[in-house]
Amino acid sequence: MTAWSRSLFVAALVLLGAVALVGVRGQASAFSAYGSRTPVALVPSLTGQPEYCLTCHGGIEEISAAHPTDVFGCVRCHGGQPLALDAETAHAGLRGGRNPSDFAVVEVSCGGEDCHGGPADQALDHIHRSEVSLQSTYAGPIAAVRQAFGAQNNKRAHYAIAAIEDRQITSETGLPFLEALLPVAASEPPQVRMLAERCLACHLGGPAVDQPGYQRLTGCAACHAVTNWQGTYTGGDETIAGEESGHAAIHRLTTVIPYTQCDTCHNRGNYSLVDMSFHARTDLPADGNASRLQAYYQPIARFTACEYQLDCIDCHPSGEVMGDGDLHSQMDEVRALECRTCHGTPTQGPQTREIAKPDDPALRQARLNPASDLQVGDTVVVTARGDTLWNVRRLLGGTFQLTAKGTGKTYAVPQVTGSGCEQDPANQASSACHECHAVDRP
Amino acid sequence: MTAERPPAATTPGVRGAKRPSFFEHLHPPSIPEAQARFRYTLGLGGLSVFFLVMTAVTGALLLFYYEPSSARANASVQLLQYHVPFGWLVRGVHFWSAQALVVTAALHLLRVALTGGFRSGRRFNWLLGLSLFVLALGLDFTGYGLRWDASIGWALLIGTNLLRLVPLAGGTLYRWLVGSAELGEATVLRLFGWHVFGLMLPALGLAVWHLFRVRRDGGIATDTAAPRLPRRELVRREILAMLLAAATLLGLTTLAGPGLAGPLEPSSLSLEAHAPWFFLAIQELLRLGNPLWFGVILPLAVVLLLAAIPYAIDRGARLGRWFPRDGRLVQVIVLGLALGIGWLTLRGALR
Repeated sequence: MTAWSRSLFVAALVLLGAVALVGVRGQASAFSAYGSRTPVALVPSLTGQPEYCLTCHGGIEEISAAHPTDVFGCVRCHGGQPLALDAETAHAGLRGGRNPSDFAVVEVSCGGEDCHGGPADQALDHIHRSEVSLQSTYAGPIAAVRQAFGAQNNKRAHYAIAAIEDRQITSETGLPFLEALLPVAASEPPQVRMLAERCLACHLGGPAVDQPGYQRLTGCAACHAVTNWQGTYTGGDETIAGEESGHAAIHRLTTVIPYTQCDTCHNRGNYSLVDMSFHARTDLPADGNASRLQAYYQPIARFTACEYQLDCIDCHPSGEVMGDGDLHSQMDEVRALECRTCHGTPTQGPQTREIAKPDDPALRQARLNPASDLQVGDTVVVTARGDTLWNVRRLLGGTFQLTAKGTGKTYAVPQVTGSGCEQDPANQASSACHECHAVDRP
Repeated sequence: MTAERPPAATTPGVRGAKRPSFFEHLHPPSIPEAQARFRYTLGLGGLSVFFLVMTAVTGALLLFYYEPSSARANASVQLLQYHVPFGWLVRGVHFWSAQALVVTAALHLLRVALTGGFRSGRRFNWLLGLSLFVLALGLDFTGYGLRWDASIGWALLIGTNLLRLVPLAGGTLYRWLVGSAELGEATVLRLFGWHVFGLMLPALGLAVWHLFRVRRDGGIATDTAAPRLPRRELVRREILAMLLAAATLLGLTTLAGPGLAGPLEPSSLSLEAHAPWFFLAIQELLRLGNPLWFGVILPLAVVLLLAAIPYAIDRGARLGRWFPRDGRLVQVIVLGLALGIGWLTLRGALR
């Protein structure tokens, strides 16, 4: 063997060793830094781009039947780095942290013509409606406090949490824009200033109070992602599970919003105009295990059976809760629900309409709910403003039936006509009905 | 290794005589034995050629996946790094051969300066080599920028802003590289264009020219009629060096790859400013004062000083040995520069 052959042999051996090293590394591939787990690739049909998120988040729940994982994947909504396998890199650029529906990023996450940023006439303007709704602007309480302390002389809203405009006004009470209150608070009466300093956190865009019972996310998820009393995640994804608050209970969006979700903001206490502060209720058990009646109504309240037996969403339609796409001054301007909406008056049955077409938005809403079997040709109740209560149907015999959205339980809806009820059709305040129909606390 | 006699020259055009092939022509027929020793050349020129070829080949492979847009650049690198079979290997070898190229080219420059290899009709090739080195730095910088991840933001911002300071042409140069008034949508495409075309094409052309000049000038410089080795011996040594260099590249790639963070948001850079290692010396200089003087004029002056060596500074003639006595001034200059740059780089690295 010549010196040259020997050298060549050794060098070739060294190279072979290096190639073997590459082979070993190739087995672990890019994932050697990631323990022994093999990456789980998901190629959602909507994007066609592979994602490795499920490598870690394997146990996570599908977000909703309308957003199947194999169609949407994770990154279309959440952003982040689809192929990175360490948490830090993978989570770089996540939209809205863990909540892509936060209003700061919702347009990118959930928007778009075909999704939730579509035209109003196809009822695809969910994002716009939510952003201009009273739950986001907080315009009602601001206007009321300003009026109470002399800063304005009527209930028309001028200010909101943040400046906002609405370029397409569709209702008589719709406003073109609202200014932000905080920048002008210094020149307001002291009470309004206190309101601006203490109370402006209370809206869909703002983070929840990090205390048990107040746990909710922001943006769309404030309502559509159900939280538990502690705000902990209790689903199947081991990487999220834990004691940390600020999570949805499971990774799921729903239109079946339980009253407990509404109660993370509502029915938690009283706002005092005397000291301009919030006074939490003291009649609720600290562990959150209140009965529905207890959770809904403070001790002095009066109510009928349907008011505490049903979920909030069984009666309050989307057009009230999420608004009608206009900026308003008061809840009254969007709330058309009255007792007669379902029960009628002594002379007239409820106002109804027929589900005429398969692409009727009400039918679309109903189909998201497993309890519903609404079909084209069915006749359903509408409010005076035209909001459809798709879960209150007229049956063949002319009677009405309400299907509870959460439980699927059906209730016969008693009608005023022919019942001997002496209501005054012009006075539809609930207090008027309570005169006869209020029930005692069980 | 034993010295072999150079083969008898064949007469051109004679039938039946074996004429050197294209590949044989790439090497001179014979090389001086003393100067062909590893301890003289350190194999740096040959290694530089090897690393250049490796970056070009792996770079061509990367082209099949890289998407030069600010929206997709980082994602496509991630796709390559994490999803494409052996994509991490191709990217890693591209990275390491590029870093190795800068190192071997710099040391080669130093070696040639310290042995007087730029003398005796090789002055122009010194300029070609120096230009190649500057191009290699440009390629390394643009390649680093093409990663388009959160870690490159400051280097890209500072590096490109230095261009603005170039007297008279600064604004234009900046727009050529960045594509707009600030880092943004167009920048990835511009970096890409410069990397794979604007810098790469001249680099390949100059590399061929540089090698042609070496070949034309008779291979390694010597001033004696000492024994010579046939080109076969040179090829053998090159093969050995290539095998070992390839093994080194694979080993480095296996043990440590080029980093990759989430995508770059030019509008929100992280608080920490990290320069790539070859940029550390400039970063340290910038800390000293006026960026025009320390970031632009001083580095340019260094390049001009190096370019002037064979034309205006060196007067010697001796070839073929380390530290020739008649080249002291040049030796002091280049060693001073090397130590200075090395010290600044080390200081930056230890920060």
